[in-house]
Amino acid sequence: MEQDRKRIHKAGWCILVLYICLSPATFAERPVITIEIRNHLFIPSEITVPANTKVKLMIKNLDSTAEEFESYELNREKVILGHQKAVIFIGPLSPGEYPFFGEFYPKTAQGKIIVE
Amino acid sequence: MLLSSVIIILREVLEATLLIGVLLSLSKQTRLSTRWAPGSVFIGFVSAYFYSRNFTRISGWFEGMGQEVTNAFIQYLLYILILCIIVLLFRKTQRPTAKSWIISSIMALIVILSITHEGSEILIYLSNFFLVQDHVPIVIAGAVIGTSIGVSVGILIYFVLTNVMPHYSSYTGVFLLILFSGGMLSHATNLLIQADWLPSQLPIWNTSSIISEQSISGQLLYAIMGYEATPTVLHAAIYFGGLVVAMILAILSMTRNKWRVE
Repeated sequence: MEQDRKRIHKAGWCILVLYICLSPATFAERPVITIEIRNHLFIPSEITVPANTKVKLMIKNLDSTAEEFESYELNREKVILGHQKAVIFIGPLSPGEYPFFGEFYPKTAQGKIIVE
Repeated sequence: MLLSSVIIILREVLEATLLIGVLLSLSKQTRLSTRWAPGSVFIGFVSAYFYSRNFTRISGWFEGMGQEVTNAFIQYLLYILILCIIVLLFRKTQRPTAKSWIISSIMALIVILSITHEGSEILIYLSNFFLVQDHVPIVIAGAVIGTSIGVSVGILIYFVLTNVMPHYSSYTGVFLLILFSGGMLSHATNLLIQADWLPSQLPIWNTSSIISEQSISGQLLYAIMGYEATPTVLHAAIYFGGLVVAMILAILSMTRNKWRVE
C-alpha cells in the first residue's frame, strides 16, 4: 500500500516534469516582433501574433525618458530606460486580445496584442 | 498624472511598508530589539540609489535579462530569509543575545533588499520627470501622497498587530509573513518565465472574471500575496509548494518550541 502510494507520487512528479519540459510551447519557434516607444507611444500599438506560440518582443525606447512595459493580462513588466532596448518573451497565448501599457505614461502609451 | 503618480509610488511603497510593519511587530512581541529598523531603511535607500544608477549595466547582464534575473534573485532570497525568521523567531536557545543578533540581522537584510527592489523603480520613475523638467510639482505631490498612504498602512498594520490584537499578533504576523513569502515566490517565478529561464505554458485557470488584477482588490492581493489571475502549471506549483513549505516550518517552529504568546 505504502509502495503504491510512493509509486503514484513519483509518477505524478514525472508527469509534471515531462509536461513542463516536453510541452510544445517549450520548443516552438519564437518569432521576433519589434515595438518602438516614441513620444510616449507604442509604435505599432497593435500587434498580431499566432496562438500557442512563444514570441520575442524587442522593445526599443527612442525617448530620453524611461518607460515600464506592463500588462496584467500577459503577466509582464519591465523597465526600459531612455535610448535603451529590451527583450520580453510572451506566450504561448490563447486567441484573444491582451492589452499592454506604459506604466510611467499610461495616458498615451497604450497598445494591445491580438492573438489569432 | 497626479493619480498615476500616486498609484505607481503607492504600489511600490506598500510592499515594503507592509513587510516592515509586520517585522517590527514581531520584534516587539518577541521582545527583540528594533534598533535594526532605521539603519536598514537608510541602507536600503542608498542601495536603491546605486541600483537605479547602474540599472543599464544590470539590465544588460544575462543577454539582456539582468533586470529579471536580479529581481528574481532578490525575491527568492527574501523568501529564504523569511523562512529563516519563521524558524528562528520562537526557537528556545541558551544564548538569547546571539539569537537576537541573528534575527535582527536577517530582518535588516530583508528590509534592505525589499527597499532596494521597490525603491530603485521609484527613483527611475521620479528621475524621468526631473530629466525633462516636465510635471515635476505634480509628480512630487503624487509621490508624497503615495508614500504617505503606504507608510500609514505600514504603521496601521504595526499598531493593529501590537495594540488591537496583541494576543494573536504573533500568529497573525507569521501568517502574514507566509503570505508575503508566497507573493515573493510568485513575482520571482513570473520574472524568470518572462526572461525565458523557466518554461511558459498556457494558463491553467483564469480568475480575472472573479478578481481582476487591475481592480483595487486585485492590486492589494498582488502586493500581499502575489495574486496572479492566469498562472501556469509551473507558477502554481512553485507558489503553492513554497506556501506549504513555509506553513510546515511555521507549525513545526510553533509546536516544537512550545509557542508562547506574549
